[in-house]
Amino acid sequence: MREVYVAGIGITSFTRLEYPLSEIAAYPAMMALKDAGLSKVDHVYVANMASGRLNHQTGLASAVVDSLSLTPAGATTIENGPASGGSAILQGFLAVASGMFDVVLVTAAERLREVNNLDATDAVATLTHPLAEYIYGVTLPSLAAMFTRLYMQKYGVTARHLAMVAVKNHDHALLNFYAHLHEKITIEGIVDSPESMTNNPYVAEPLRFFDCCPVSDGGACVILVSAEVAKKLGKPLIRLAGVGQATDTHCVHERAEPTDLLAVRGAAAQAFKMAGVTPGDVDVAELHDAFTILEIVESEEVGFFKKGEGHLALERGETRLGGKLPINTSGGLKAKGHPVGATGVGQAHEIVLQLRGEAEKRQVKDARIGFTCNFGGFGNNVVCLVFKRED
Amino acid sequence: MALEILAYKCKKCGELHYPLRMVCRKCGQNEPHEFDTVPLPKRGKLLTFTTVHNLPPDFTVAKLTLGIVELENGMRITGQLKIASPRIGMPVAGKVEVVREADYSKNYGMVFYPA
Repeated sequence: MREVYVAGIGITSFTRLEYPLSEIAAYPAMMALKDAGLSKVDHVYVANMASGRLNHQTGLASAVVDSLSLTPAGATTIENGPASGGSAILQGFLAVASGMFDVVLVTAAERLREVNNLDATDAVATLTHPLAEYIYGVTLPSLAAMFTRLYMQKYGVTARHLAMVAVKNHDHALLNFYAHLHEKITIEGIVDSPESMTNNPYVAEPLRFFDCCPVSDGGACVILVSAEVAKKLGKPLIRLAGVGQATDTHCVHERAEPTDLLAVRGAAAQAFKMAGVTPGDVDVAELHDAFTILEIVESEEVGFFKKGEGHLALERGETRLGGKLPINTSGGLKAKGHPVGATGVGQAHEIVLQLRGEAEKRQVKDARIGFTCNFGGFGNNVVCLVFKRED
Repeated sequence: MALEILAYKCKKCGELHYPLRMVCRKCGQNEPHEFDTVPLPKRGKLLTFTTVHNLPPDFTVAKLTLGIVELENGMRITGQLKIASPRIGMPVAGKVEVVREADYSKNYGMVFYPA
């Protein structure tokens, strides 16, 4: 297997974007090509979850490759729910590692705000089991809420811990120009004050408004190349050193231990093994905090903290910028935003910025090893990636 | 006739599944349609629950309580709850009722009441 490097990155603001979906995918690709100093690619992967349903557009990769004037390069759309972005990077990795291609462009886009928020919620809810979950009105927030209730009972996580994730990630997002929510929040405002139930109403009890990510449009791109190409480009050498993917039961109720996220555990273990590093070696991580509880639980399942102790590390400030292991320096899905199919590529973008030392005010000092966890469905399809700076 | 929700019993090893899958999760038997159907029990205890305030647009109610129930035989099912103040571990009893109406079709599913 050949080594695979990240040669270029690009991103749009994660917010409401009044552009056609194919432009949201093409714009970060143009930035990434410029960043890498490349104008030709061997293959294009485009990650997206719901364009057929929300934007009346299918075969997105064909539109994007032509819009970028990269024809006749091969182009493939990857739909894998909220893990579409991570999956597209994994496919790009395989294509370069196998020796088939030297330059692969992985771009991603989602435009959820073309419809109203309830339609967007419904589109995402189609990830659930059609007959055993979806028909009841099960949405992703409701699965996360039922999971949170069990986690609170079993491990002593409280509403205050969840709010601490939100406050931290909103603070981080204030330092990220591309983030969706530039809004300082406080524990007092969303939990303690008499107005907190107005400021922060329930979405799916016990989860409240500020426990949930915003509905975002956005796009992101990474260009993956062989070692030979990477060394010619003269950019900092960032290697995609480990990839892992694992699945779990489609129905959440079929999981033997309902507070485990086994696909996260499995995908992370594979990625660390391939990269030859341990969770303790990681300097900066982007976790899939579509709901605040997920940042806490993923930080345990990937191996940063013991099961049931993620919220204690959060309390001690270890996962904040300046802490031992900063998590979601971009603001995470919580505050950077969650353009569903593009999120996995957005996470990789942040890690590459950090490892290059280009993350400006939110730079983690001397970061050399970065990690991403891209969580599909309610944990039924998860992709983890490990990046290493090599020069 | 009382409406039932069906579990799927592997003809080879007897493992029960809900919902239907094509290949048995326990023994991996791989012949098409080699499952017997057995009605799921209706009684059980509440494992976890939530009240959802942001429902997909085809629901005409403002909020809805959902839960996962561990049934008497140990199997689990996701369903709607018509329980004013649910608590984890409480005994519940289910009925099969219309749970969602969309595009002129009625979807039936399990609705749980206090037992």
